Amino acid sequence: MPKELTYNKAFTQLEKLVEQIEDDTIQLDTLAAKVKEANELIVYCEDKLRGIEKEVKSAAAKLTTGARSKVKNKGK
Amino acid sequence: MPQAIKLSELAYEIQETMEARFEGETFWVTCEISDVKKYISTRRCYLKLVEREGNNTNTELRAVFWANYYNEIELFEKKTKQNFADGIEITCEVKVRFHPKYGLNLDVVKIDVAYTLGTIELERQKTLEKLVTENPKHIKLVEGNYITYNNKLSLPIVIQRIALITAPNSDGQRDFKQELEKNKHGYAVEVTEFLTQIQGDNAHQLILEQLQLVYSQKENFDMVAIVRGGGSQTDFKPFEDYELAKTVAIFPLPIYTGIGHDRNTSIVDMMAREHKTPTKVASKIIEHNFEFENSIIELKERLNQQVDFLIDNAKENIQDLKRLVKLASPANIMKKGFAIITIKDKIIIDPKNIEPNTEIDILLQDEIIYTTVTKKEKNAQRTNL
Repeated sequence: MPKELTYNKAFTQLEKLVEQIEDDTIQLDTLAAKVKEANELIVYCEDKLRGIEKEVKSAAAKLTTGARSKVKNKGK
Repeated sequence: MPQAIKLSELAYEIQETMEARFEGETFWVTCEISDVKKYISTRRCYLKLVEREGNNTNTELRAVFWANYYNEIELFEKKTKQNFADGIEITCEVKVRFHPKYGLNLDVVKIDVAYTLGTIELERQKTLEKLVTENPKHIKLVEGNYITYNNKLSLPIVIQRIALITAPNSDGQRDFKQELEKNKHGYAVEVTEFLTQIQGDNAHQLILEQLQLVYSQKENFDMVAIVRGGGSQTDFKPFEDYELAKTVAIFPLPIYTGIGHDRNTSIVDMMAREHKTPTKVASKIIEHNFEFENSIIELKERLNQQVDFLIDNAKENIQDLKRLVKLASPANIMKKGFAIITIKDKIIIDPKNIEPNTEIDILLQDEIIYTTVTKKEKNAQRTNL
């Protein structure tokens, strides 16, 4: 998956993949890889919408940098 | 020694004279109000009626709303959406009264709300005109609607980082955050609060300062929400301010307003995207994110359908091939009465090497016939097969 993914990039890439998969000339041996990538993009969006990606990231950051955390008023 | 009288006698004399002139009469006056002190529990309001010439006050009289006229103030605030506060101009009906102890006072018995509404409307039209003429690139009036740089900004595909401008511990703040937190989709939204007084004389200035603060870190936010809520329908004034309206119109992040007026639209509302109440602003944000998720779900469904279709298709093709292979297998063909001819265990496809007297084997499904060729000629019946 590309670095620095954003909703926009994920969405455009997902649209492109679905269009490629819908193209009748798609080769079956490339299908699996494309479906896998599409599913990763879907999971990325769903997780990010619910803040799961962020939680994982901040948990990872805590593990590496100790208890340094930014206090923000979070609408959660 | 001069002949002196008691002070009360003089006061009585004044009172009598005043009464003789003013008793039973009322006067309509237009003036500015100042030193307004409202006592809500006893329903009284003390104030001064003033008239100015340039920077100088040339007339200043004390006035009072007694309890039975206090509803005039409430009516005024309800209808004009303005606080009855220092600095505004009103037209009101007064009685003149002199009291030996309290001196000269004007009892206010009525306020001409229409007069104030008229001045507010006039002021509003002036502000709107100024906004359009002085910012022609960013503010345009098109068929009765104000098209601004800000309200034409496209929204980010998902809204998750919100700068909230609101009053601390206010209903608006609570309603907005609650609506976001309890969203049924479980979307995560990060709210950074920029708290300030949001009504009163210099509220427009304070809101403007908060907007500037947001601007200084604008890359951290997807949008700005300006909300104010609760029951108070008064004090529309900060949102009619030219500078604030202009700043909103040219602000580089989309702005949603929810300043709690169901029927009226303020100038700031017109420069931004208006959603009336704090709760509606929050639900619009969630709705916006839901639209995005929906389009993801649609793509997911298209993907799954296509994958199912492709796999079914491939399975069918394999079935077809299997059938073909089966039909074409020698065993299957031999069942139908066909035979294979071999010479020394080698299958003969081309009969040109078979001459009379050649020993050939005829392989049938269950038996082999060993034989010698006696004669060979062209097959004239081949098309009949």
